[in-house]
Amino acid sequence: MGKIKRHGLSVRFVHWAVAISTIALIFSGFGQMPVYKRYMIDQLPGLAWTSDFSINLLIHYTAAGVLIFAVAYHIVYHIIRKEFDIWPRKGDFKESYLIIKAMLTKGEEPESDKYLAEQRLAYAYIGVMLIVIIISGIIKVLKNLPSISLEMDTLIWVSTVHNAATILLILGIVGHLAAFVFKANRPLLPGMFTGWVDEDYARRRHGVWYRKIQEDKKTNLQHK
Amino acid sequence: MSKITRRDFLKRSAASGLAAGVILSGLEKPARAYSGTVQYGTLIDLTRCDGCAHLDVPACVSACREENKSKFPHPVPSEQINNYWPQKKKEDWSDKKEIINRLTPYNWITVQKVSVEHDGRVVEVNIPRRCMHCDNPPCSNICPFGAQAKTPEGPVLINHELCFGGAKCRSVCPWGIPARQAGVGLYMKIAPQYLGGGVMYKCDLCYHRVTKGQQPACVESCPRGAIQFAAKDEIKQRAEERAKEINGFVYGDKENGGTSTFYVSQVPFEKIHQQLVRQKSNQPNPEAPGYPLMPVNVGNYLDTVNGLIAGMLAAPLAGAAVAGYTAYKKMKDGE
Repeated sequence: MGKIKRHGLSVRFVHWAVAISTIALIFSGFGQMPVYKRYMIDQLPGLAWTSDFSINLLIHYTAAGVLIFAVAYHIVYHIIRKEFDIWPRKGDFKESYLIIKAMLTKGEEPESDKYLAEQRLAYAYIGVMLIVIIISGIIKVLKNLPSISLEMDTLIWVSTVHNAATILLILGIVGHLAAFVFKANRPLLPGMFTGWVDEDYARRRHGVWYRKIQEDKKTNLQHK
Repeated sequence: MSKITRRDFLKRSAASGLAAGVILSGLEKPARAYSGTVQYGTLIDLTRCDGCAHLDVPACVSACREENKSKFPHPVPSEQINNYWPQKKKEDWSDKKEIINRLTPYNWITVQKVSVEHDGRVVEVNIPRRCMHCDNPPCSNICPFGAQAKTPEGPVLINHELCFGGAKCRSVCPWGIPARQAGVGLYMKIAPQYLGGGVMYKCDLCYHRVTKGQQPACVESCPRGAIQFAAKDEIKQRAEERAKEINGFVYGDKENGGTSTFYVSQVPFEKIHQQLVRQKSNQPNPEAPGYPLMPVNVGNYLDTVNGLIAGMLAAPLAGAAVAGYTAYKKMKDGE
């Protein structure tokens, strides 16, 4: 069976850097609330460090650096290359409804571009949450400096936005992972690990994208 | 994708760099240092404090309790307060309100007494202890809910309506000052059996009086003028002068990155600290908070992470630069 290139190294790097740093941020972020000691998680083997606020804070800052690096890389890289395949489009809500309906009823789903409509929406949702978390997080980091102090109301707002966006992000991640409950979506998985997906899958489900690739190939051949 | 010219590349790099920069870096505006308000400080002259030997309760302690009683906790009855599940304990001081020899949610200032040997003689030292109102307070900075803040005037306040009683502020305070009362506050409205621990309480330097131009109750009540209150700069100067005059020492200027409380003593604070450690180790529970020590030159909990900030703020620039280079190289290769 033929394979087709779906993601380059840059995309996979960004995806996994964001995924791993976000998991570390969520874990160490919960560690900023004194939950691991209270619920005795720190008494489980190998997890004694979880109730140490300074270790959690160090992990939080380091993982935040990785996340911000990856997000900046992602934005700049795709703007320069004018690659906006994953940017949400008009009609995406309706289209994703039709795709999910088709998956549930085993009916026919609309032909997709490189990304499914719900992937574009999920990207926007998770992207907005990450940006909100990063902005509020940077404010929180700056206010830790001796030279910067925030008024109580600002502090409450920033903390609440940071915490609420985190909860919404966690829901988004759960939704993202839940997509793979559907067998129809599983052929996408190897794409994020190896960069390649089955050509048959691409032709069947991502017809718009598949045709573009074929046309690009033809154009390139003509130029050579 | 078609090949890219150098001019195109620079144009697009500038545009994307600007976008990333605006999104990730231009955020310092909301974070500002206070200016234009007088910041206050207190001087606690240990050569003048005698712990009110003639009274049952030191005057500063009774004045504080009287002045702040309306802010003290009103928890549900003790028998209705849950343990901190899954642990089998709770911090409930509602039946121990009368305690004055330590900090509790109902006692925001306490006077410690130690005997210190110095220059061949034994000196009795009485030390009024309460929140130091630090310059860069880790307690308020690390509160996950933003339930604490430093005011422009200097006092660090706890928002009793928002505090969930996790007591993290106490863990990161070098002196373990805030005290927790269970059975009161926001957590009681959510799931008190499983979440939250109560509300944290500590000295607010009588903020309600300070904002009216009055002195804190402990300052006003001291019969020997051992606690002074004024603009922080002036207080600091007075502390240094007094220390020089008695050939003594200052505590609170450098500790935790600087505080607005300046102790002056004729005996070294290292020796006072040693005695306090000794006293504490003799307590039935030597780990108990509420008996603050006096570690000299103790660092700020945030020192380590604040050292990482340059790396963190450089992350978006580094990400943008690497992305620019990678994208340019790939597009030059015709990918």
